[in-house]
Parts: sequence; C-alpha cells; structure tokens
Amino acid sequence: MLADLKGASVEVWQHRELLEQLTRRDIKLRYKQAAMGFAWAVFMPCLIVLSGLIIRFAMAQISGTPLASRDIANIAVKGVGWSFFVGALGFATASLIGNSNLVTKIYFPREVLPLSSVAAQGFDSSIGLVTLIVLLPLLGVRLHASLVWVPLLLVLLILFTTGVSLFLACANLFFRDVKYIVQVVLMFGIFFTPIFFEPAMLGPRGALVATINPLTGILEGLRLAVVDGRDLSHPITEIIKGTARPVWTPWELAYSAVCSVAIMIGSTLMFRRLQHLFAEYV
Amino acid sequence: MTDTAIRMDGVWKKFQRGERHDSLRDLVPAVARRILKGPQPAGELGKNDFWALRDVSFEVKRGDALGIIGHNGAGKSTLLKILTRLLRPSLGSYDTHGRIGALIEVTAGFHPDLTGRENIYLNGSIIGMKKADIASRFDAIVDFSGIGAFIDTPVKRYSSGMNARLGFSVAAHLEPEILIVDEVLSVGDYTFQGKCIRWMQNLLQSGTTVIFVSHNMDAVLSLCNSAILLDQGRVAAKGDLKKVVGEYYKSGGRFKPALLETPTARTIEFAAPTGGDLMVDPGERVTFTHTITAHTDSELSPGFFINRGEKAVVDTTYSRVRGHPLRVKAGDSVQVDWSVAFNLPAGVYEVGYHLGDIAGGYHEYQSRACIVTVGDDPRVKGDSFVALRLEAHRVQDPALQLAASRAGVLP
Repeated sequence: MLADLKGASVEVWQHRELLEQLTRRDIKLRYKQAAMGFAWAVFMPCLIVLSGLIIRFAMAQISGTPLASRDIANIAVKGVGWSFFVGALGFATASLIGNSNLVTKIYFPREVLPLSSVAAQGFDSSIGLVTLIVLLPLLGVRLHASLVWVPLLLVLLILFTTGVSLFLACANLFFRDVKYIVQVVLMFGIFFTPIFFEPAMLGPRGALVATINPLTGILEGLRLAVVDGRDLSHPITEIIKGTARPVWTPWELAYSAVCSVAIMIGSTLMFRRLQHLFAEYV
Repeated sequence: MTDTAIRMDGVWKKFQRGERHDSLRDLVPAVARRILKGPQPAGELGKNDFWALRDVSFEVKRGDALGIIGHNGAGKSTLLKILTRLLRPSLGSYDTHGRIGALIEVTAGFHPDLTGRENIYLNGSIIGMKKADIASRFDAIVDFSGIGAFIDTPVKRYSSGMNARLGFSVAAHLEPEILIVDEVLSVGDYTFQGKCIRWMQNLLQSGTTVIFVSHNMDAVLSLCNSAILLDQGRVAAKGDLKKVVGEYYKSGGRFKPALLETPTARTIEFAAPTGGDLMVDPGERVTFTHTITAHTDSELSPGFFINRGEKAVVDTTYSRVRGHPLRVKAGDSVQVDWSVAFNLPAGVYEVGYHLGDIAGGYHEYQSRACIVTVGDDPRVKGDSFVALRLEAHRVQDPALQLAASRAGVLP
C-alpha cells in the first residue's frame, strides 16, 4: 500500500510539467471563444450566493428578522468553497473519458488528468476567491486572528475534492452511469451541505446529521473563522431563541480531516491498481 | 548495463469479444457469476475471450532495428501497446532498458482549439519531454514541420497533412533511447516522407534502438536489420529480414477474381529455374516457365504479373504481347516462357500468373507463385525498365505428357 502511494506521488511529481501543461490547456479551453471570458469564473459563485440570498430572504420574511449583511457574507464564503467542489467534480468525472485518445495511445500517470481538472477549477475558484476578498470588507467583515485556520481548511477542501474527483473519474471510466449519478448529486448536493443555512438551524439532532457530510466541518469552519472570527480549537456555542446551542466542536474538523485524508489515500490506491485496465476499458 | 534493449518472454494477451458490462445494471449479474464460479485464471479463455497475443518472445539488442510485420489483426498494435505500457500482458513478462519514445498516432495529444505553438508544448509534455527541452528545440520542431507562419493558428484550421507533420515533428524531437514507430512514415507528402526516413536513418546511426511496425515492406527492408512476423497473435517467423518479409507475402490473401465454374484448362507447372523463391541482382534475367494444358480446344490468354506491395510493376497477357490468343488443342500441353530482366530497384516482388479465357473469366489465378527479392546494387540508380520477352512452343516432353494424363486432364 505504501509502495503504491509512493509510486503515485513520485510518478505524478515526475510529470508535474505535464500536469501544468494540461491545467493550462483546460484553463485556456474554458475561455477560448467565450465572449464573457474570465467573468464566467465569478458567474458561478455569484449564482450560488444569489440563490442562497433568495432562500435566506424568504426565511427572514417568515421569521420576521431582517436579513443581515453577515448572512450574505456567510453564504458567500461557503458558496465559493462549494463552487470549487462541484466545478472540480464535474470536470474531473469526465476527464478520463474526455481524453480517451490520450488514455489509449500514450502512457503517462493517469492521475494527472483528473488532477489537472481540479487544478484548472482551482484557478477559476481563485478568481472567485479574490472577488470575495474584495467584497467581504464591504459586508462588514473585519480581519481576525482566526484567519490562520483558513490555510488548513483550504488544504482539507482541496484534499477532499481531489480524492472524490479521482474516485469518480476512475469509476466513470468503467461505468458510464456514474456521470448521471454525479449530475444528480451535484444538483441536489447543495441541500445536503450547509451552504444556504447553518446546521444549528436544523436543531440539535439535525445539526449532528449534517456533520456526517465531511464538507460541513470544512465549510462551517471557514465561515466561523473568516466571518465570525472564532477560534476553531474550542467548542463554540451560540444563543439561538434564548437557549445556548453548540455550533462547533473541534471534533468536526478532526472528522473532516480524517475523511479527506482517507478518501485521498483510498482513491489514489484504487487509481493505481486499476489504471493498467484503463486503455482496455475506456 | 546489458546490451539488451527489449526482451519479451512468453507474452500472452487476452481480449474479450463484444461488449463488456458498461453500466452498473450489467455489473451486478457479472459479479454474482464471478463469485459463484471464482475468478477466471489468467491462462484460461472465457466464453467470449480470445488470445490477441500467444506466447510472443523476442529480444532486441541495443542499437538494433526490429521490424514487426503482419496482416491486419495479427496483434502488432497489441504488442506495441504492451511495450508502451498501455496494456499489461495476461501472462508472461517483458523488460525494457532505456527511455521509450513512441511515434504512434502522433496527433493524439493535440487539441483542435489550441494554436500550433500551444500544441507543441502540450503534446511535447504528454509524450514525456521537459519544458526546457521543448523550448530549446522549439525552432527545430517548427522548422522540421514546415508549418512556418501558421504556428500561431489553431490546429483545427490546419490541413490533416499539416496536423500530422506537426505531430510527427514534435515526436521526432523526443530523442528516446528506444523508439517505437507505428506506420507514421506515411505522413505528409513525398518531401516530408523523405525527411522522416532520413531522420530515422540518422537515429539508427546514432545507436537508437528502433521497433518499426509497418505494412510498407520497402521501408521495413531499408530500415530494419531483423524482423518478426505475427500471425493471429503468434510469432510466425523471426530473424533474417528478407526471409521474414518473404513469409509475410506468402501468408497474405490478396485479390482473387471470380474463377470459371468449369475450367477447361489448367496449369501443370509454373516455375523459375531454381525451383523455389529467388534472390537476384538488379538486372538479372530470369525465365519463368508456365506449362498449360487443356482438355477441350481452348483459346487462352495466359497472364503474367509482378507486384510490389499493392502496386503492379508488370502486368501483361499473352494476347496483349502477341496480338492473338494462345490456342491449345484438346489434350495438348503448351509451355510459355516469360523471361524478365529484373531491372528494378531493390525490394521484394511477387510474381504471379493467371489463365484467362478469351471468352472471359479465368480458369486459374495465382497471385503469389514466386517471391523474388532484388538485392541492393549501388551501381543501379532508380527505376529501370523491364525488357520482357516471350516464347511459346508445343511440349514434346513425354514426362510432362504423362503428368498431364495422371492429373486427369487428358482423355
């Protein structure tokens, strides 16, 4: 197992220039002959944030509490993270099939194909991220010491996304049903991930169920660290409807971290052991 | 450091005929069956399996050039895919020593929307070049391809020839230790093909090991120093280049015209003076004797032809040369001598004959009666002409008459 992991990392490292070239290609192709160009990179997160706003506005109307600028910031932070995840998955799932002429003709570590899809989406999302950095002060978000948590959370998000992408790319090569499943999951996944809402709104039990999704810990962590400026190493409680409710425990982060690393290792091993069949099955 | 570049040891490769289970719905029953019966051993064939390669073994020394030939479906591509690590053998093992570069589908890495320049970098890294190497060889690549001013045009606007030339040029600058070439010399026009051949010869002189797969026997003969012939996944012949190429020509099926249902004439013998296949010097004159017999009075037009690959070098008939058909009385035997001076460039030629009827149709058609290999003679430059002479006379030889009557032709 260790030999496989080492083999994968060594081979991908040796082909880092190929990874770079493929990533450049993916980025160029997204914007070639596209009139809106790089505006597309901001369009997707904007749409997510906008749909979140509509839902939160409706909720605010019913509960009678006004929509705060903090709510907008919450949705924006998590929305950018989510758009990275869905974007990467969408492109990575098709990456092996879409490059079948390469898979059947030329040898190189096949991991670079889904990896380059994730990297290209990373480039897109970083444009969204820069936009977010400009917008957050306008929404009243200040700089906090808790921003030191952000790099760790982003690494976990990238690890988790990459792990799932490798798995889906590989699965889709053998079974074409996977891409339909992915489409459906990506369409409805946003309701199973706390983007438009906070897990605490689901009540104590509901909040616990919501944390089963490894993305919950990562995205909630981002929100709390960036918008609320909370230190993630301690449990956090908030007063909701007069009662103190836990909204965060460090265990959530630990759980997301374990899941991210596990899926990354699992997918890498699966990819390694199956890739000699790719040229035959694609 | 060994002097072996490639060694294949009893390699078998199994493929499945027909569709695999591509969707989850088909997977479940397949998995259930597999659990009940246990996994299939690598050495056994399932219901829909077949062997694409069977017990293939060979060795290539460093600096050698091996030709892999065989008819379509013989397993050449499978063999190459194993060598380039795209497929794993079902059984057996192989070793390669040295950096492998493959000239197989040289445009596979191209993206139509990217420019020539972008595609050079992309394709270069896909086939395993470092960015710095591509940058330093960039001008040479563009120069070799002859793309010139179009380098910043998206390749989707290129002609297919330009596309292929650019792909080949990138791959040609990979500088591998072992080069695997599959039918790419047919790329581009004559000038470009000449460039490619010269480039290959330079590589060979510089000590690169070459595996060359082609249907072009002339290219194989001029570039390689040994060959293997694959037939239905097996190594049918290996070793001496000319012998293997000769076997290739004999093993193939080519043009077969419709034959007359009730032939009235037949060939007793078609032979060259030495019997079997021939090795001749350029310009050497050879007489092929064609002995014909008929059991009814016939008006025949025996034909004689020499093919090189798919192209006819000589194709003529008795009636075309003489201006009248060959009349053979019932029970008679006639010997026609076709005398040919092989004023031809070095290469492998197939000599064939047919027995046409003046009323139409063929009594017989044999496209590969004899293989003639014309040797390389530095004094002969380029193509020459064939001085064809023709003689015909009634056979008086009693032995031949006897053979004809035994064959049931004579009453």
